Amino acid sequence: MLDRLFQALVDGVLQGSVLSLAAVGFSLIFGVLGVINLSHGVLIILGAYLALVALRTIGLDPLLALPLIAAICFGVGYLYQRFLISPAIRRASLLSSLLVTYGVALILQNLFTLVFSADNQSVRPDYANSFDRFGGITVNRLQLIAFAISCVLIAILAWVLRRLPIGRSIRATAEHELAARLCGVDTDQIYAISFGLSAAFAGAAGVLIGMLFPFAPSSQEDWTIFGFVVVVLGGAGSAAGALLGGLLLGIISALTGAFVGPAYPNAVAFLVLVLMLLLRPHGLLGSAFHGSR
Amino acid sequence: MLISRRDALKTGSAAAALLGSDDVLASAQNTIRLGGSVPMSGKESDTGLNVLEGYKVAVKYVNEHLGGVKVAGVAYKLELQLFDDASDPQRAVTLIQKQLDSGTDFFLGSFSSAIVLPTAALTERARRPMVQAGGGADQIFTRHFRYMFGIYPRASRQLVTLVEMFKSMHGQVRTCAIVATNDPFSKGQADGSVEYLRAAGIQILNTYRLPPTLTDVSGVVSDLRLRTPDALICTTHQEDSALVTQQLVATGTDVKLLFLALGPEIPAFRANLGKYAEGLTFNQYWKPTYRFGDPFFGSTANYYNYYTTVTDRKETYHTAGASLCITCYVKAIQDAGTLAPDKVRDALAALNYESFYGQVKFTADGDGDAVLMGAVISQVQPSGLEVVFPPKVATAQLVYPIPNWATR
Repeated sequence: MLDRLFQALVDGVLQGSVLSLAAVGFSLIFGVLGVINLSHGVLIILGAYLALVALRTIGLDPLLALPLIAAICFGVGYLYQRFLISPAIRRASLLSSLLVTYGVALILQNLFTLVFSADNQSVRPDYANSFDRFGGITVNRLQLIAFAISCVLIAILAWVLRRLPIGRSIRATAEHELAARLCGVDTDQIYAISFGLSAAFAGAAGVLIGMLFPFAPSSQEDWTIFGFVVVVLGGAGSAAGALLGGLLLGIISALTGAFVGPAYPNAVAFLVLVLMLLLRPHGLLGSAFHGSR
Repeated sequence: MLISRRDALKTGSAAAALLGSDDVLASAQNTIRLGGSVPMSGKESDTGLNVLEGYKVAVKYVNEHLGGVKVAGVAYKLELQLFDDASDPQRAVTLIQKQLDSGTDFFLGSFSSAIVLPTAALTERARRPMVQAGGGADQIFTRHFRYMFGIYPRASRQLVTLVEMFKSMHGQVRTCAIVATNDPFSKGQADGSVEYLRAAGIQILNTYRLPPTLTDVSGVVSDLRLRTPDALICTTHQEDSALVTQQLVATGTDVKLLFLALGPEIPAFRANLGKYAEGLTFNQYWKPTYRFGDPFFGSTANYYNYYTTVTDRKETYHTAGASLCITCYVKAIQDAGTLAPDKVRDALAALNYESFYGQVKFTADGDGDAVLMGAVISQVQPSGLEVVFPPKVATAQLVYPIPNWATR
């Protein structure tokens, strides 16, 4: 019984860390721009497909390809915000970004289907299947690696946001755009950089997700929903909030799967989501950034 | 004679309506339109695209090699009008209703029971035949539909052969566990197998029900490590089958036999799993090596040769099943000698002939006869997909137990 509890907790933490990484970009964009990015999942799947291409064309290990993929996704995200989302918001309203991001998600999903087919894919090198046993607990090594990478990347983001000038500009823009402008912050640039960062984290998460789970173009919807749930649980705009929300979702799912039944993790996760919206709409570590106000 | 403005308008409107009618256009061009939807995107699209390819290949053959379908001395070309339902039952329902409204008389099925079930209800109400190779849930065949015909036996009867195989293994399989998703096909297959397994004296250690949206089965896998069955039966769709297998491999959770209802028949599925695909067992309804005659293709070998020359998409039993839907229609229309949907429906119900796929005979409820059109058990082996049961048609011995994941 105790073994089962520990195993569920370990599984939950490992799974949750990847959810956190997948959601941190969603959280950043919601917190800074106030945009609910419905194409977040498709950026994650873009990362997974780029890892697949790197592995199949030049034999590059997905983990080695991760920094490059994150950089490519940063560029994609930067341009996406500059030339699509920003004009849409300027000409219409913040709400129009919902339509734009949803449209982009559909277009990219179909593009992936055209290029890669709708078949399920997987980017699993051989070491993805090695594991260790500690007493009665089994831990897959790739999940451990994914956990470490997720924690390090989220910590770097938190450090950038807190310590570096660019991070301070992002936080200032998120708190009050006009005040930030008056202080000389180029907010248009900050929005684009924030979106680029969000896409880079989505791409990096996509690499890990492609290694851990089967994926297809249609998987993007699930990852957008997970991103949303994590942000509601943890709170928008904060790296620590995303980490906490992801871990919470992972642990809730694992404990429910182990002790209530494997049919119920989603039901329980969404029940917690509703409760959180009722009791603490800003999430556990929600900031007062304008997106979450 | 003077023609009043009102008469001119009436005549013009009637002519426009007549010309605008799709039926008139269709018959004017001597085409038989086969409507429907297929998951070309979304969760079910890998098998959906196989089904679509099967339809396309058979239609191409009928039109180009047989010169179409002859009815009362007139040759009609077949025309596919299949739309992408994106694996979404609601979208499929809208698409089918639209086609019914535009006068489509004959329908082909989508893939997955969750889509076939509501769309078949629509075509049934409109008294239009549907032939499908994508829905096996019992609910499709227990609602007394008269116009719906499925190539595969209903889900609850699909694991009969697997249990027969267990019985033939002289007590090597004493325990099993079942993993099923909460959808009509998967649940139906799991529920049906429980009865057969109990009757065979095989103990079911646990039945795990999974939600339709799934990214992690670590709880199930941990439980399987604690209570490991001799055989693990997953009545899951391909995406979930892949996830279960990956997580079993990733945690070194070994079982002696792993049966996956859907997945191993798809080449991309096997390629993704690599060496870990070896040993997986699954239901197989058709193989290119079968030696059946066929009134249209001539034989299974001819069908297979034609298929491989016109498409790059690898054949599966779903592609063959979909092609069979087309030839069933052709045979039924020829037998009926008319394009009246009622008569074609009666001819479909009466079909009993040898095809490239095997003997075709539908039950009174519309599903494939469980004995004549039932599955054989195949296993992924180094030599390819081998039939391992029943012995009469087996091409290789079952590998049991399968090698441990770690030693591969």
